[in-house]
Amino acid sequence: MAAAADEASRPFAGLSDVSISEDIPVEGDISVPVGPSTRRRNDDEFSTLDEPVRETILRDLRAVGKKFIHVLYPKRSSALLRDWDLWGPLLLCVTLALLLQGGAADSDYQGGPQFAEVFVIVWFGSIIITLNSKLLGGTISFFQSLCVLGYCIMPLTAAMAVCRIVLVAGSGTVSFAVRLVVVTASFGWSTFASTAFLADSQPANRKALVVYPVFLFYFVIGWMVLTFSPSQ
Amino acid sequence: MMLDDLILLCFESARRSAVIRHPLASFFHLFFRVVAIVAYLLCDWISENFAWCFVLIITLLSFDFWSVKNVTGRLLVGLRWWNQIDEDGKSLWVFEAKKASLGNNNGTEAEARIFWLGLIICPLIWTFFFFTSLFSLKIKWLSLVVASISLQVANLYGYLRCKAVGEDGQPADIRSFSGEHLLQRPDIIFGIL
Repeated sequence: MAAAADEASRPFAGLSDVSISEDIPVEGDISVPVGPSTRRRNDDEFSTLDEPVRETILRDLRAVGKKFIHVLYPKRSSALLRDWDLWGPLLLCVTLALLLQGGAADSDYQGGPQFAEVFVIVWFGSIIITLNSKLLGGTISFFQSLCVLGYCIMPLTAAMAVCRIVLVAGSGTVSFAVRLVVVTASFGWSTFASTAFLADSQPANRKALVVYPVFLFYFVIGWMVLTFSPSQ
Repeated sequence: MMLDDLILLCFESARRSAVIRHPLASFFHLFFRVVAIVAYLLCDWISENFAWCFVLIITLLSFDFWSVKNVTGRLLVGLRWWNQIDEDGKSLWVFEAKKASLGNNNGTEAEARIFWLGLIICPLIWTFFFFTSLFSLKIKWLSLVVASISLQVANLYGYLRCKAVGEDGQPADIRSFSGEHLLQRPDIIFGIL
């Protein structure tokens, strides 16, 4: 009886041993609408076309930008996964495909993969990796995984841009060595960044099973980047 | 003072009895989809570089997906759907339907017709393109058509589920969740804590 009363007087006592791991940064947004009541919320928010749409666009753009920064400096952060979007992957895929396409403008069989092949490899590859991860019992959702894999293509896209520039200067041994270093570094960065997000959702003994398809995926893309040669 | 009130009243009543209350939204609902279909047809005949045609159509359909999902749906027919990840990392799909009696900014009959016709006819046209490109063995166009169909059908499916929620005859501002959890108000974007 006394114990129960004691418990009641300290309502949050049970939470005293809850701790948050030090290495997860606490971040996110909380926005609570300041409105009269929930029933009129829909009308008040969306009564004009211009304002909310602009705000929605800006918010989406800001979210995309934040994710790009997360890829640049991959640390474990659940906020990246929470608000997934596929704009970044789409943009990166299109950029990569256009950069890979320039060398084969005139004929279909020279210099590089065809445009649609890049799309198919990226998206189909991402879907297969996601299915693999889910079949292994991962807790990440389908679109979150697509989001992470797509955003982590960014280093390889940057490497492609660098390779194009290097190829303008020349295509000899030195140029190949430079491109090799750049592509290897960006491949490692991509793989590291995506496994930082994806591997956490798996039980400990399955991490390698999840990581190796990601390795293969970025290896194939890195190979396409490295073996690109402009048409004569 | 009286004149201002009178003018305001005139505008309000004109708005309430207008055939189309959201002309911009109605226009953009159809604009991106129709231009994408036209671009697909004309790309064949003009025979530009395949890559630019692909990028153009995918860009148009991405804008269409975003605008139909986020803007025209809630303005024209009062339906909304989205995906949400809760604290456990589980993914939750929410379908929301606005009850017609709330407010006076709802879509009219004509707008609802525009919305649903646009939403249904365009995927049918893309399905037709799927078969024409399949049987004429233009495989690289097939990838484009498959991407387009998935973008269009996603919105169609989402809004059909919203409509199913709305027709259950339940009280205002109803939602259905696929998932066993109870959802907080969708305006709150979760913090990590």
